[in-house]
Amino acid sequence: MLTGNFLLAASAVTLIFSTLKKEYPRKNLVLISTALTICASLYLWFLIFSNDFSVEYVAAYSSTTLPPMYKISAFWAGQQGSFLFWLLVHSIVGTILISKKTSAESLKFYFALELILIIFVLEKSPFAANPVTVSEGVGLNPLLQDFWMAIHPPVIFVGYALLAVPLSLSLGTLINSAASRNWLEPARVWTLTAFGFLGAGIFIGGYWAYKVLGWGGYWAWDPVENSSLVPFLLAAVLLHLINLAKKKTAVLPMAHIAAVFTYSLVIYGTFLTRSGILGDFSVHSFAGSEIGLTIALANALILIGGLLIIFFKAKNFPAGKMYENFSEQSFIVLLSCLLIIFMAVIVWLGMSMPLLTKFLDNPAAVDESFYVKSTAPIAAVLVVLLIYTFAKFKVSFGGKITHAGFILMLAAIVISSSGETVTAELSNGVETEIAGHKIIYGGQIIEDRQKFYIYKVDGEEVRALTKLRGNGEDAAREPAILKNFSGDIYIAPHPPQNIIAQELILEKNKFAMDGELGYTFLDAEIIYDAENKPARATAIIEITDGVTTEKIQPLITVTADGGTSSAIEIFDGRRRVRLTGISGDLQKARLEILPTIQEISAVPITTTISTKPFIWLLWLSVTAICAGTFLAVKKF
Amino acid sequence: MNLKEKFSAYRNIFSENFSDGDSMRKIFLAALLIGFIVYAGINLTESVTPYVSIAEATTSNKNVQVKGLLDKNFEPRQSNGEFIFNLRDENSNETLQVKYSGTKPDQFDDAYHIVAVGKYDAADATFHAKKLLIKCPSKYEGQVRD
Repeated sequence: MLTGNFLLAASAVTLIFSTLKKEYPRKNLVLISTALTICASLYLWFLIFSNDFSVEYVAAYSSTTLPPMYKISAFWAGQQGSFLFWLLVHSIVGTILISKKTSAESLKFYFALELILIIFVLEKSPFAANPVTVSEGVGLNPLLQDFWMAIHPPVIFVGYALLAVPLSLSLGTLINSAASRNWLEPARVWTLTAFGFLGAGIFIGGYWAYKVLGWGGYWAWDPVENSSLVPFLLAAVLLHLINLAKKKTAVLPMAHIAAVFTYSLVIYGTFLTRSGILGDFSVHSFAGSEIGLTIALANALILIGGLLIIFFKAKNFPAGKMYENFSEQSFIVLLSCLLIIFMAVIVWLGMSMPLLTKFLDNPAAVDESFYVKSTAPIAAVLVVLLIYTFAKFKVSFGGKITHAGFILMLAAIVISSSGETVTAELSNGVETEIAGHKIIYGGQIIEDRQKFYIYKVDGEEVRALTKLRGNGEDAAREPAILKNFSGDIYIAPHPPQNIIAQELILEKNKFAMDGELGYTFLDAEIIYDAENKPARATAIIEITDGVTTEKIQPLITVTADGGTSSAIEIFDGRRRVRLTGISGDLQKARLEILPTIQEISAVPITTTISTKPFIWLLWLSVTAICAGTFLAVKKF
Repeated sequence: MNLKEKFSAYRNIFSENFSDGDSMRKIFLAALLIGFIVYAGINLTESVTPYVSIAEATTSNKNVQVKGLLDKNFEPRQSNGEFIFNLRDENSNETLQVKYSGTKPDQFDDAYHIVAVGKYDAADATFHAKKLLIKCPSKYEGQVRD
C-alpha cells in the first residue's frame, strides 16, 4: 500500500537531485523520476484491477463487478487519483521538455511545479490504507459510468498540466533575459495544445451533462464548471498575446503576466473545488478536505512569485508601441483580449462570491442569470470584432475554423435555447400533442440492472434509461433524446416518488396471504464469511396461487451499511418479491411484494418534454473550436 | 536600484508601451475599465443571493438561499406543476414549506442537504424556490448505496 507513496517520494527526491550541482538538469535522473511516477500510476491501476479494497481509494471508487473500462477510469474518479493523473501527465511532458533542450531555468521552474503536484498527491494519497476491512468496494457512481464521463476528467487534466509549460518557459526566460522572444514559439504550441485539450474536456463535460444528467442543459455555471472555464478563457488571452508579442515587442510583458495568471487560475480553480469551501454552493459536492490550505499556499506562491519576477525584470523589457492606430489588427486583438479578460473576471467573481463573502456576516452566491446577462453583451461585441477581423485581416486556417466555431457556438446557444419546455402527465398508450410533436408513453421494461421508459415521438421509439441499484432502486436517471435535423426532442421522465410496495412479515411455518397468493416461510440461514461475520442471509419461501406452488430462495447480501437484495419474479412476472430482512433468531422474515412491471407501466408518468432546436449545431461548433485549435499547432 | 526606482521604471515601461503619451488611448482604456467595473458591479449586486437560516429567510424580501434537511414528517408532493416539501433547519429544527416550480429533481431522495434558492412569500407562508440544489453525498465523493 505504501509502495505507491514510496515511489512518488522517490520520484520527488530524484527530481530534486537531477537539478543539483549541475548547470543543466541531468536527463537520466529526470527520466528515472518520470519512470517512478509512471510506476506509481500503474501500481494504482494494478490495485484497482486486483480489487485490493484494503486501499481506501479502491474501495471507494471500484468494485469487483465494475467493467474493465470503468476500472481504468476509476483511476481519476476521485480527488486523490485525479491529482495523480495530473502529476503523471505533467511528469511525462517534463521528459519531452528536457529532450527538446528547454533552458535549464525553465526546466527548474517546471520541476518546481511538479514537486508541488507531488506534495498534493502525497498529502491526499490514493494509496492510503482503508481504515475498515471490506470484501467489496462501493463501485463507481452509476452516473459516471458513461463513456464521455470516463474520458472527461483526463482530457481536462491534460489541459491543466500543459498550461504549466508556458508559465515555466515564461519565468525561465525572464531569469535569463527579459527581452528574449525565443520562448514564444514553443509557448504558442504548448498553449494551443493545452487550450485544445481544456476546451475538449469542457465540451465533453457539457455533452455528458446534456445526455446523461437529464437537467436539460449542458452548462449550469456550477463552480466546478466555472473553475475550468476561467483558465480556458485566460489560455485564449495568453495565446493571442503570445502571437502578438512575436510582432510587437511591447506586448511581451503582458504575455508573461498572462502566463502567470493562467496557471495561477488553474490552481485557484482546483483550490475552490477541492477544498470543500464551496460545499454549500455547488451541486458537485466534493467532500471537504484538509488539502485546501496546501493548495492555497501553492496558489499564492505561484501567483505572487511569478508577478514578482516580472516586476523585478520589468526594466529589461524592450520598449515599443503596441499599436499605431485603432484600426490596426494589434489593437483589435488587444481589445478582444481585454474583453475576454472581462468575461473571465465575471465568471471568477461569480464563482468566488461564496469565498469572498465568507468573511462577511452573510455569505452569498450569485444567480445563474448573473453570468448570462453579464457575459452576453461582451460576447456580442467579440463577435463584431471577429467579423471585422475576418473581413479586413489575414487569419490562419486553424484560426478561421476556431473563430468561426466560436461564432457558431454563440448562435447555437441562442437558437437551441429557444425551444419549448412542457411538463405533462402522460398515460400509457395515450397520444398527447406537446410542443408540436405527437408523444405516447409506452410503459417500462426492466432488463438486468437497467430500466427503460419507452416513449414514441412522432412514431419513433426512444427510451429513457434508468440505471438501477442492486435493490432495484433508481441509481441514475437519463433522459430519452430523439435526434432530428431540426433539433432534439428531450424527454425526462419523473417517476412517482414511491412505488407502493406491500410488506409481509412471515413467521416460520405459518401461512400468510398478500390478497392473491399465499406464502409459507420454511427456513432461513445466515452464511458467515471467513472472518465469521455475516455475509449473506437467505430464506426458503413457498408460494402458492392455490393451483401451483413455487419455491423461491431470495438472498440478502450484507454490505457496510446494511444489506442489499434484488427482486425476484414469481409466477411468470405476476408478482415481484424481495427479501428485506430476517430476524436474528431466524424465526421471522420480511418480504416486500412489489407491483409487476405491467402494473407500474400502467401508472401515468409526469414527463418533461423540451425541444432543443438545432442543438447539433452546438456540438458541431465546439468540435470546430477544438479541431481548429489543433490545426493551428502546425501553421498553414 | 532601489525598490522605488524599480517601480517607476516598471511603470514607465508600461505606460510607454500602452499609450506612448497618447492621451486618447489612455482615456479609452480608462473608460473601458471604469465602464466594466460599474457594469459588473451593478449586475453583481442585482444577482447576489445571501445564504441565510430559515428564520432569516422568512423575514427577508430578497432572493436568498436556504439550506436544510428534508422534513420527513411531511410527505413531499407534486401538485399543479409545483413540487412541495418541507425543509428543516439543521440547528434550530424550524421548518419551512417550499414550493418549487417544477418537478421533483433527480436524486432528491438521496439528498442529505437541500439548498432552496428563491424568495419567501408571507401571503401563503411559503418559500418559492426558483432553483433547488440537491447535495448528494454519493455524487462525486464517498458512498454510493447499493
